[in-house]
Amino acid sequence: MNQEIYLVGLNHKTAGVDIRERYALSDCDPSATGLVSEAGDVCEAMILSTCNRVEFLVVGSEVADMRAKILRFWADQCGQPLADLQNHTYCHAGDKAVNHLFTVASSLDSMILGEPQILGQLKTAYRNAVEKGAAKVIVNRLLHKAFSVAKRVRTETAIASSAVSISYAAVELARKIFTDLSNQRALLIGAGEMAELAATHLLSAGVRDITVVNRTLAKGEELARQFKGRAMPFEDLHQALLDTDIVISSTGSPTAIIRARDMKDVLRQRRHKPIFFIDIAVPRDIDPDINGLDNVYLYDIDDLKEVVEENLAGRMQEAQKARSIVGEEVGAFMRWRDGLALQPTIVALLDQGEGIARRELRKSIKQLGPNPDPQTVAIMERLARSLCHKIYHEPISYLKRRSMEEGSAQRFIHNARRMFNLDDESIPEDAHLDRKAPGGK
Amino acid sequence: MTAARLFELIIALLYLTGSVSYPLGLVLRRAFLKRIAAWTSATAFGLHTVDLGLRSLELGAANLQHGQFYMSLMAWLLVLIFFVLWWKLKHDFLSMITAPLALILFSSSLAVRTQVLAVPEHFSALWFSLHVGTIFVSLALIAMAFGAGLAYLHLERLIKTKAKLPGFSKELPSLQTFDKANHWAVSIGFPLYSISLLAGFLWASFTWKKVISWDPKELISIVIWIIFALLFHQRMVLGWQGRKPAKTAIVLFILCMVSLVGVNFLLPTHHSFRP
Repeated sequence: MNQEIYLVGLNHKTAGVDIRERYALSDCDPSATGLVSEAGDVCEAMILSTCNRVEFLVVGSEVADMRAKILRFWADQCGQPLADLQNHTYCHAGDKAVNHLFTVASSLDSMILGEPQILGQLKTAYRNAVEKGAAKVIVNRLLHKAFSVAKRVRTETAIASSAVSISYAAVELARKIFTDLSNQRALLIGAGEMAELAATHLLSAGVRDITVVNRTLAKGEELARQFKGRAMPFEDLHQALLDTDIVISSTGSPTAIIRARDMKDVLRQRRHKPIFFIDIAVPRDIDPDINGLDNVYLYDIDDLKEVVEENLAGRMQEAQKARSIVGEEVGAFMRWRDGLALQPTIVALLDQGEGIARRELRKSIKQLGPNPDPQTVAIMERLARSLCHKIYHEPISYLKRRSMEEGSAQRFIHNARRMFNLDDESIPEDAHLDRKAPGGK
Repeated sequence: MTAARLFELIIALLYLTGSVSYPLGLVLRRAFLKRIAAWTSATAFGLHTVDLGLRSLELGAANLQHGQFYMSLMAWLLVLIFFVLWWKLKHDFLSMITAPLALILFSSSLAVRTQVLAVPEHFSALWFSLHVGTIFVSLALIAMAFGAGLAYLHLERLIKTKAKLPGFSKELPSLQTFDKANHWAVSIGFPLYSISLLAGFLWASFTWKKVISWDPKELISIVIWIIFALLFHQRMVLGWQGRKPAKTAIVLFILCMVSLVGVNFLLPTHHSFRP
C-alpha cells in the first residue's frame, strides 16, 4: 500500500487557549503508546506541542480514516472528549502537509511572524521522535529540509530583522545611536514592569551597568540588586544624568521630571556626549522639547509603538517572499519523495549500470586500434551489457522482495538510492542525525 | 605608452566597479556586492600603487611637473586613508564616498595627462613634500568627514523625527561611528593642514622673498584654515559632538573643492593646473 504524509493539528488560529491547554501533549512517546508500530497503519510520527500549537506529523498508509485515527489516539492520550478536537483541528495530506510543516518551521504560522522560538521547539520535537525511534526515512528527510528552509527564509528575507516588541525596539534604536553598548551606562528612573523589561533587554544587549533612581530608595535598591547595579536617591537625579547614556523613565509623576532647560546645563557638563531617553511613563516624565537639543534623543511610548507597528507591517511584506520560498522547497521535497517508488529506482539503477558499461566499452574499443574487427566489437558489447545486467540483478531482485514487506520498502529503496548515489547528492553536514535514527542504520 | 594607458584604464574601471557595486549592495542588501566592491577597490588600490611606483621610476623628479601625478597621488592617498579608517571604525560605509571620489580624481588625472606645470625654480624637495603630502592627507580626511557628516545628518534626522528607518538606512552604522570619523579627521587633519600651510608660506618666503603674495589660493586656504581651527578648538576643548562638527566638515569639504577645482583650474594662481 502507498505511503502518505499527514499533518493533523490545532493552533492559535483554530483553537482558543482553553482548548490548547487541554489537548497539549508535551511528553508523549509515539512508539511506546502504540501509535507507531510495525503492523499498524502509522510507520513514522513526530509530535510538536507548544503553547500555540499541537501538531502530529505522521507517515503512514494511505487510508481514508487516518485523521479520525489520530484524533482518537490524541483524545485518549489527553483523557479529553473527542468532539472538541474534531471542531478545532485541521488535517493536511501530501504536499499540503509538507507545506504546512515548512510554513511552521519558517515561523510564518506563528502568532508573531518571524519569532525565532518555534524552530528550537521543532528541533526538540524532532530529537524526541528520533530518540524514540519514531522518525525514519521520510520524517528525517522532511525535518532536515524544514530546518534548511527556515534558514533560507531567515537569510533571504528580512522577516526577523526588525524589533516587534517595545523594549526590543528601544534597544535597536540605542544601537543606531551608540556604536558599542558595552561602553554605555543605563539609568532607570522609577520602577515599573515595563522599565524592568526594557532594562533586562538592555542588559542582555550588553550595557555596561544599570543605575536605579527611585522616590523610595529601598525599592530602588531592591531593583538595583536584581540588575547588579547601584541605586541613587531621587535628589541625585541631576548627578546621575551626568554619566549615563541611556535613560528609561517610568515614574508615576504627574508633571515632567526632566525639563529641556535643565538638560542644557547637563549637556554642557557631559561635554555633549549623546544621551538617549526612553520615556515609557503616562503621563510623560520627560519634556518633549528635549528632543530638539543636539545630541539628545527622546522616544516616548507612542513613538516606540509606532516603530513596532511599522516593523510588523514590514514583516507581513517579507512573509510573501518567504511563502514563495516555502512553495519552491515543497516542490523539491515532493520530487525527492516521488523518487522513493520502486519502479523509478530500478530504472535509475539500470541506467547507471548501462551508462558505465557504455563508457568503458568506448574506451576499450579505442584501444583496439583505428579499424577494429566488427566481430570482436560485437562480442565486447555483449559482454559489457550482460555483465551490467548480471551485477545489478541481485540488488534489484532484493529490492523487489523487500518492497513486498509492509513498512520497510522505502527504507531499503532509500538506502539503495544512497548506496548507488542515484540522486547525485553530496552528504549533508548534519548527516549524523540520520545515523542516530535506529531505522536508518 | 599604450600599455600604460591600458593599465590606467583598468584602474579606473576597477574604481568604477567599486563605486557602483557598494551602493547597489547597500540598497539591494546583498553582501556579495559589497564584497565585490571591497575587492575591486583593493585591487584598484594595489594597481594604482604599482602605477605610481612605475611613473616615479620612469620620470623621477620630473613627475612633479605633471598635473597627472598630483591628481593621481591625491586619489591614492584618499583610498589609503579610507582603508585606515575602515580598519579603525570596523565599518566599510565610507567606501560610499571614497570609491566615487577616487574615481573622479583618478579620471581627472588622466584628463590632465599632457599638461606640464611650472614648478618654482628654487625647488626644495623637503618643503615641497611637506607642503603637498600633508595637504593631500588632510584633504582626504576632510573628504571622509564630509561623507560621514552627510550620513550623520541623514540618520540623525530619521531618528529625531522618529521616521521609519527604510531599507538601507538599517545598514548604516551608528551615529557615534560617524562622529568618530569626524573626530579622526579633525584631530589629525587640522595639524596636517596647518603644517602644510606653514610649509607653503615658508617655502614662498625662501623662493619669492615674500610670505604672502595675495594669490587666490593663499586666500581661500587661509579661510579654510580659520574654519578648521574653529572646529578643532570646539571639538577638542569644548567637546563638540554630532551635528555641528558634521555640518562644519561639510562646509570645509565644499570650500576645499572650490579651492581645488575653482581656483586651481580657473583663476590665475601659482598653483595653476590650467593648460
